[in-house]
Amino acid sequence: MAGPSNAGEIAAELSTRPGHRSLGASLVRWLVIGVSLVFLGALLAAPLAAVFAMAIEKGWTAYFSSFADPDTRAAIRLTLLTAAIVVPVNTVFGITAAWCIAKFEFRGKSFLITMIDLPLAVSPVVSGLIYVLLFGLNGWFGAWLMENEISIVYALPGIVLATMFVTFPYVARELIPLMQQLGNDEEEAAITLGAGGWFTFFRVTLPKIRWGLVYGIILCNARAMGEFGAVSVVSGNIRGLTTTMPLHIEILYNEYNFVGAFAVASMLSLLAVVTLIIKTLVERSGYRRR
Amino acid sequence: MSIALDQVTKRYQDQPVVNDVSIEVGEGEFFVLLGPSGSGKSTLLRAIAGLTGIDHGRISLHGRDVTHVRARDRGVGLVFQNYALFRHMTVADNIEFALRVRRMKAAERRARRKELLQLVALEGMDERLPGQLSGGQQQRVAVARALAHKPQVLLLDEPFGALDAKIREELRRTIRAVQRELGITTVLVTHDQEEAFALADTIGVMNHGRLLEVGNPNDLYTQPATRFVATFLGAANLLLARQSVDGIRFGATPLSAEGAEPLQGGREHEVVAVLRPEEVEVGTAREDLSSDFIARGAVEEIVFTGALERLRVRLLDEPSAAQLLGAGSASGDPLIEITRTQPQRRELPLLAGAQVALGARRLHVLPTPISSFLACAPTEAEAAEIAREPLLESLSTRMKTRVSLRAIDGLAGTPAPFAGVAAITAGSQASETVEWLMRHGAGEVLVLPKNAPSPARVFIHWTDEAVRRATLAVSASLLRHVSAEAVYLGIVPEGDATGRGTPMRKLLDARSEAQQSHGLEMRTELAIGETVTEITRNLSTGSSQMLVLGITDITQAGTAYRTLLAAQPGWPVLIVYRSKDWGPGRQAARSAPEIAA
Repeated sequence: MAGPSNAGEIAAELSTRPGHRSLGASLVRWLVIGVSLVFLGALLAAPLAAVFAMAIEKGWTAYFSSFADPDTRAAIRLTLLTAAIVVPVNTVFGITAAWCIAKFEFRGKSFLITMIDLPLAVSPVVSGLIYVLLFGLNGWFGAWLMENEISIVYALPGIVLATMFVTFPYVARELIPLMQQLGNDEEEAAITLGAGGWFTFFRVTLPKIRWGLVYGIILCNARAMGEFGAVSVVSGNIRGLTTTMPLHIEILYNEYNFVGAFAVASMLSLLAVVTLIIKTLVERSGYRRR
Repeated sequence: MSIALDQVTKRYQDQPVVNDVSIEVGEGEFFVLLGPSGSGKSTLLRAIAGLTGIDHGRISLHGRDVTHVRARDRGVGLVFQNYALFRHMTVADNIEFALRVRRMKAAERRARRKELLQLVALEGMDERLPGQLSGGQQQRVAVARALAHKPQVLLLDEPFGALDAKIREELRRTIRAVQRELGITTVLVTHDQEEAFALADTIGVMNHGRLLEVGNPNDLYTQPATRFVATFLGAANLLLARQSVDGIRFGATPLSAEGAEPLQGGREHEVVAVLRPEEVEVGTAREDLSSDFIARGAVEEIVFTGALERLRVRLLDEPSAAQLLGAGSASGDPLIEITRTQPQRRELPLLAGAQVALGARRLHVLPTPISSFLACAPTEAEAAEIAREPLLESLSTRMKTRVSLRAIDGLAGTPAPFAGVAAITAGSQASETVEWLMRHGAGEVLVLPKNAPSPARVFIHWTDEAVRRATLAVSASLLRHVSAEAVYLGIVPEGDATGRGTPMRKLLDARSEAQQSHGLEMRTELAIGETVTEITRNLSTGSSQMLVLGITDITQAGTAYRTLLAAQPGWPVLIVYRSKDWGPGRQAARSAPEIAA
């Protein structure tokens, strides 16, 4: 291939371009970099630092003792449980949907793509309200659920459903362009070599898309843990029972328990940071392998 | 037979991309499917592999009908143009994939892998990933992978497409050697004629979804039966000549030519002759030529290409000179292409502008019944309008022939003889015009409605068995240039006393003759009722349909078929007329094998 193919090579080539070392060019360069850094500092780094600073304001003992609170523990457990249910389900759904869209031509395909995008466009509060309207006491299925003593809203199923709704585009969105770009040739080769459908999927398709898939799962997980709006509507904020970490942070904050609130917040942030680090590592090894 | 395809048809959105193709590939044969892009050759290969379903026909491998067998159970090896290696697997895992699927033991797998890597000269590359190999090496791995499970048939889809010339040739040799060593039946798809010549035992040339000709490379090059094969396999100058009882001639000069069919009924007619660039002799004067003189001309252009010198010569317009067919009708003055070797060039060095005399060392006459078109209308301007009709324009372009114009005002007097297929507009006066043209020597008349689209289906019907052969020949020639399906329409009058047996036999005879003598695969349909009504009914079943009609009685055009030609909006109708006096008895007496027209 002619020309540079990745960012590093592009930068290297740009630096050899005639006129590159003129005063104007370097001035513009530093200006652009400076503006970006200031922006990042003000909007991201400072608040993040503030979260950790507030959390350890009263010392490490106070920080760790806030995790001893049973309600806090319940919130952490609920968050992890929700993510553990939502992420696998959405992964399977995402792969299926991406497969359909990338490999087949059918009526209503563009409608399906639009539907997958819907949760990204709709406000999370609305997503939550949908479930309240459907399964709430006065909702469509409310009376029937009541008779059969099934609780969905203000319980774990409601939280899981709302989180699932909000996070289901992530895996599919990540895989659709990847699968379209990679095409069908390897699968066809596998079939002519005698492989069946499942064998082809696990040995050829899945390894082929694994980096895109991992990336999609990480994004999905991050959103599942951090979701506030939709979950807040369906959870009913029953302390120790239906509060996830983001909801619990809000409760603690409203009770002026700043150390507790910021301690849980710092933990949530840490989870996000860890997720991002994993993402970066995955991207790097993905590039290297390609 | 190792691979047998029987009347395979594949349609995409009702357009046939593979059109009634029948091929037989012998055990251990290297068969090359050659055609331009979009000719349906890759689709056909995928159909053999089972990756594409077919709408009609049968496919069998080694006598086993696999038409409905899944791709994974067909046991073929397929090599893709872009290799399609499993990117995340090492070379070893790629090659062992088919063996793993078959649950072969690890030790046996390793032994087989060693064997294969040696076969494609890639020993020691086992642990590399495909990304770490060059294009040529990747394709070698793909070949080894496709051969791992010892398939009975190896299929290659443009395997050298993405490689540069030198590696291409090296890989070509490897594949040929591997094929010989294993004796495996192989089908390779390519658009590169050089590749086809270098590899093939047998070449099949495809265009517009049809298999045009099959033969060994030498026969196809020296004796093509169709214009397309003549021009696609190497360069060719196409010349218009006239054939009479005395033989072939250009203007007034008689020539010796190969491939000419015996005359039909002693009627002089126009033929197309193929003159390869290397078969043109160049001399300073007519007397210097050792071969048959064809024309004088002026050198327009000289291109040096290393081993060969390429000349383009403009022919002088003289009555004795040959007439050259250009690529298009209005593309101006076509030039004759000549190649000379270095010794020939040294003998007679030429500069641009030099006057030369040209001779033909070897001429081959195409047995095609459609040589050129002649647009006929009351005035020259109207004739020019017919020549611009989209269907006629696309036909003449695809056939690489020309459309001449002729004013035939008032249908009076004795016109100059007609050459080629006459084309007129449809309408109420069409039938009289057809009758008049045929009385004055026209053998084929194409009646064109305004803005008729290229046909998707061509119905073929003849009124008398005496005109069967000619109708089939014209139909075959037409259908090689449009991607339409051919349907023979047999019509039995209602309450016919002879019963169903005779028409059925006629139907089957027609089909087998079409296939054997003209290379034309056609479906057959039997209708019961009045001829014109049934034809009209069938033509009306869909849009863009066309009719080829063979008649033996000139007045039929003016009477029985009058309504057909006057219908609005109407269909393109190609009428083929042969007098009954040249009847089947005389045809049967001819001993020469009839090759595809």
